[in-house]
Amino acid sequence: MDVKLVNPFIDAFTTVLPQMGFPTPTRTGMSVKEKSATSLGVAVIVGFTKEIRGSVVYNMSEETAKFIASTMMMGMPVESFDEMAQSAISEMSNMLTANAATNLTALGLEVDISTPSLTVGADCQIKISNEQYLTIMMDVSGHAVEIDVAVQ
Amino acid sequence: MEKVKVMVVDDSRISRMMVSSMLAKTNFEICAMAENCAQAVALYAKTKPDVVTMDMNLPDEDGIECTSRIHAIDPKAKIIMISAMKDAKLIMRGRMAGISAFLQKPVSTNELIDTLMIMCKDNVGTVATYRESYVTTFAKVLQQTLMQVFGVQSEIEIAQNDETVLQVDGVAVVVGIVGEPRGRVALYMDSDTMFGLSKAMLGMNQEDDLSSEEAEAAIEEAGNIISGRGVSKVNDIFKDREMRVTPPGTIVGSDIVLSNPDLIAFNIKAKTPYGDVYMNVGFARGV
Repeated sequence: MDVKLVNPFIDAFTTVLPQMGFPTPTRTGMSVKEKSATSLGVAVIVGFTKEIRGSVVYNMSEETAKFIASTMMMGMPVESFDEMAQSAISEMSNMLTANAATNLTALGLEVDISTPSLTVGADCQIKISNEQYLTIMMDVSGHAVEIDVAVQ
Repeated sequence: MEKVKVMVVDDSRISRMMVSSMLAKTNFEICAMAENCAQAVALYAKTKPDVVTMDMNLPDEDGIECTSRIHAIDPKAKIIMISAMKDAKLIMRGRMAGISAFLQKPVSTNELIDTLMIMCKDNVGTVATYRESYVTTFAKVLQQTLMQVFGVQSEIEIAQNDETVLQVDGVAVVVGIVGEPRGRVALYMDSDTMFGLSKAMLGMNQEDDLSSEEAEAAIEEAGNIISGRGVSKVNDIFKDREMRVTPPGTIVGSDIVLSNPDLIAFNIKAKTPYGDVYMNVGFARGV
């Protein structure tokens, strides 16, 4: 998989989050992986297709998901990862992927994106590729968000 | 779910046939066809359609006069004009006679169904349209694929998913849908069902050993086939609605919650000899 294809996803993350009231996230790591990703607690899968086909997973702990949902909802306290918080994380994933799609178009690769599918439950295995995929670790105010990108 | 009755008024037999074939696989049902104004007025009174498609050129009177006569019997009649001509003057005259929408021939299936849906939103909601046109199609494909790929007979049940979460214990294959509308399909089942079905798919005996990795791959392929075929069938109904599927994502584990807070979703359950297979088909709201 071509490493340059992950830049649109990193750029989307660092552009969109500040617009929602977060400090600018920083990239803390990037690696190539082979097997399934393991959910950290909350994982959102968004598929894309057209000129390139693939999937992206936004993977984070439930604590991080609650922190993100709370910030998105203007600091409203989020005690449990309820439907409203799930909806916020789905919406964030949608916005991030839509923004990444715009960035991919700038590279001449038009894609359409699916609706996000959110899973809750730590340790489940998520397989998005039969081959290698790329994992990017991002840090948002001390919270870690893993972005897994697979392109066929 | 009650069908929405449509009367087609057109002097051309081909035009009447075209409209009726466009509506054949939908929740709309042709209750009457008229080839001239006199017949239209008589059939309207007799069949009381929910909506009428009206041609402009009729042998006895024009479509606007025919609309006025229908409105004389039923002031609430909903009438769409479908005509080869569509200009400002015609639209103005038509509006005065009580025509609510204007479409130009040739009409696409998408355009016709969208217009009918908007006009009859009291009769047929988005949920009903998704269920009738999309989910029923996916349910049939699920049943056919279970037969062709796994060689199993199944009994199908469809329910609108009032719960916003799906409990998954075993395997779930998630395939995204792009285009109009956007959505996703999730095919899921417990581990026993997964092993039973994948051994059947690979022509193995149930007592033979199969690795979980291979069993998951078999279910992933089934999810891929079902979503692809389901979407192709829907594309056939809505000829200019080009939906596409994204590559599958496979989730394996126990006590996983698959959440879909912003989708209108339907649960399809297929009872097979190896266990229950679930498919959840969801579309984004507000399309």
